[in-house]
Amino acid sequence: MTTATPHGARGAGEVPSDDPRVQLDEALGVFEPVPPYPPRTEREAEFYTLGDGEMFLNMGPQHPSTHGVLRIVLKIDGENVVDLDPVLGYLHRGVEKLCENADYHHSIAYLDPLEYISSLFCEWPGVIAFEKLLDVEPPPRAEYLRVISSELNRILSHSLFMGWMALDLGGLTPILWSFIERDEIAEILAALTGQRLLFNYYRIGGVNGDLNHEFLSRLGDWMSRAASQIESNLGLLNENEIFVRRMRGLGTMDQATALRMCMTGPNLRATGVPLDFRRAHPYSVFPELDFDIPTRDEGDCLARYLVRIDEIKQSLRIIDQCLHQMPDGPVMAKLPRLLRPRPGRAYAAVEGPRGQYAAYVISDGTDQPFRMRIHDPSFIHLQSVGVLMPGHLIADAMAVMASLDPIMGGVDK
Amino acid sequence: MALKRGSRAGPGAGQSDATPVGSDAPGNDPSALTVRQTDVAAPIVVTNTLWRSTDPNAYQGSLEPEVTHLREVEASGIARRDDARWTGALEVIPTKADYVLDLIRANSLWPLLSGLACCAMELMSTATSVNDMDRWGMFPFRASPRQSDVLIVAGTLTTKMAGPLVRLWEQMPEPKWCVAMGDCTCSGGRYKRSYATVEGIDRVMPVDVYVPGCPPRPEGLIYGMMKLQQLVKDRRGHWPDRAVGPTVPEDV
Amino acid sequence: MDPVLKRRLARRFGERLTAPIHQRHDETEIRIGPGDVPDVCRTLHDEPEFGFLLLADLAGVDTGTTMQVVYHLWSEASPDWLRVVADGLSRDDPRVPSVTFLWKGAEWMEREAYDMFGITFEGNRDLRRIYMPPDYQSFPLRKDFFLPDDAARSPGGGVRHMEQVHTPRAGRPATTIRKAPA
Repeated sequence: MTTATPHGARGAGEVPSDDPRVQLDEALGVFEPVPPYPPRTEREAEFYTLGDGEMFLNMGPQHPSTHGVLRIVLKIDGENVVDLDPVLGYLHRGVEKLCENADYHHSIAYLDPLEYISSLFCEWPGVIAFEKLLDVEPPPRAEYLRVISSELNRILSHSLFMGWMALDLGGLTPILWSFIERDEIAEILAALTGQRLLFNYYRIGGVNGDLNHEFLSRLGDWMSRAASQIESNLGLLNENEIFVRRMRGLGTMDQATALRMCMTGPNLRATGVPLDFRRAHPYSVFPELDFDIPTRDEGDCLARYLVRIDEIKQSLRIIDQCLHQMPDGPVMAKLPRLLRPRPGRAYAAVEGPRGQYAAYVISDGTDQPFRMRIHDPSFIHLQSVGVLMPGHLIADAMAVMASLDPIMGGVDK
Repeated sequence: MALKRGSRAGPGAGQSDATPVGSDAPGNDPSALTVRQTDVAAPIVVTNTLWRSTDPNAYQGSLEPEVTHLREVEASGIARRDDARWTGALEVIPTKADYVLDLIRANSLWPLLSGLACCAMELMSTATSVNDMDRWGMFPFRASPRQSDVLIVAGTLTTKMAGPLVRLWEQMPEPKWCVAMGDCTCSGGRYKRSYATVEGIDRVMPVDVYVPGCPPRPEGLIYGMMKLQQLVKDRRGHWPDRAVGPTVPEDV
Repeated sequence: MDPVLKRRLARRFGERLTAPIHQRHDETEIRIGPGDVPDVCRTLHDEPEFGFLLLADLAGVDTGTTMQVVYHLWSEASPDWLRVVADGLSRDDPRVPSVTFLWKGAEWMEREAYDMFGITFEGNRDLRRIYMPPDYQSFPLRKDFFLPDDAARSPGGGVRHMEQVHTPRAGRPATTIRKAPA
């Protein structure tokens, strides 16, 4: 195999043409790792040139551990990953364009399925940006409700992260336990919002509904045992020698590289930068709440995992304070149904379980947003797999990707 | 600090006539908003044309790019090729044994681990401990299509993913069934007007059970799978033709 | 609203700004020409008085007459978000120097802006489509790319068949059964 010919390129006449597999390939298009056209960019040329002893391995869009439909073309030398090229877009639904053609209220429903695990964090910056354009402030009770529901969503997301982290390392039990956790929290949020997954709870000027009896009873029941239940779930992993030894020192990222890769959230805090937008750029009622920001220095997979675990505990603290401090009052500001904000631009960012979720909205005075730009942390973090994965074995490379916690709905928008 | 640049015309230099630029700040002086002539100062230019290798024989002699868009998938007729359920040449014919075997298969449908988007979360939730699909024998989510019976398409199908998904469906051996889970797979759902989605997977593959919802509750998916089991039992030994395309009964 | 930041920006970049510095809520916005992007961003990143180490967002905007690239930056020294708008790109051939030399994480954001708008980022080593298939011809988020429902409202509305809104004729049933070809 010379370096000039990419792997998989067949000369004419090497494969008999009556083989049905060949017809399938030719009819459906080439499903090989190497694209069928010559490389169009420097990086593509550099990647799709094989060195000595290397081969391409395609982890296609359907794969158990790619967290959704992500296609990664790995260039491997034996079992070591030399380089990789993620191919996105298998879940690109055109949300930004759809938001331009929809009402402001409808846009909130389009924002939900972006990161479907943490959908309240996807809605929140959009709602804040709309409120900035309209110069509307939600009532304080609504702010507290937003914080409670979003912190529950954060715990849900981190529980699922814990399960997927273990699943990508080969452990099949923690994912079942974390889905039990997730189901409980989903039912709590379903009592509040009406939906288990894509909550569609935030509105411009507040939230959709107030506390109700079922929500409070479920929440109280769960919170009374949440801390110990999470501790026991984590006990399976935190002290597990295989888990810890596999993750320690894996995929280490230092602070400068993390900032250059525009990382935010737990991935950045695991490298030692104590940046949390709830403290650094406070929004909603976070100035009145007392919580810590877990930070670690090592920057490896274990640090990213432990930062998220500590965040669960801080979220429980936050929910507790909110339930005590919540004032009475309306849950939604009085707004007309037809919203026409004045022409302007607004940017809003919140700190979600994966990092900074942001929305940049341009309004042109009509009832539809002129431009709805959604910034998603998973998209940014997925670039880092190109920095972190090379040099590791394939199995460890999957662990690195799991520790960055991408959700393909957000990556592909 | 040098603020004025020489008027070298770099590639893609700015406009030569000043255009007034609007701003959302009220009361701005329009003359202050003009865009002055700018040019690109010594950029590292990477042209976006096709790169050519120095070796003329490399990359299969620089072929034209092959199309990968859904339109070509539809036009090539791949999605309407025969499998055992269609009228036309049958490659796989059910035998008398299938009359009994279908009863057995109904209780042991193995899904393919093929979650695309949000509905995949509810699919996983249905498969795990609280709502357990293992009660009906559907626990082993096979990673390989060669080993699975049911393709539960959970999540929005985009035009880019349509090719791989049809290929997965083709790779599944008979007998196979398809469940469209969620609104996006039934009809396009909330992405019906989008430029990049396929409005319902029945445009590219035959569907047996539609489970609506956004996302459907686990109980809803379990109901859909029980309907599939009923369907398998009803159709046992006789694998009828199916169509690609929205099929609506005549009297609806 | 950070007056300190506004003073510093005006002092440092005064002549390069193509519009007055605009502040609203917790955002400060400056507008520059596309050629100034590398210098301004490097200054904002390196100078200790600014210290905008984090590129929060990179977006393309199609205003209908021009294209813009909007950078959102965050610094510990200022409580405001800084928005840098590289304004005045032509809609026919929008080109902007890339900031990947400062923030490698901008590479995919620029790829997305290229995919959605056609903005060429000079210096980006990997400027190819990221969301749409590689042979896709259009740039979806441009204002001249219409979703079928919206095409009827476009300036050329109703010219193309897809843009016309059909009402079903009375004699034809609304639903048809489609079968596989025999």
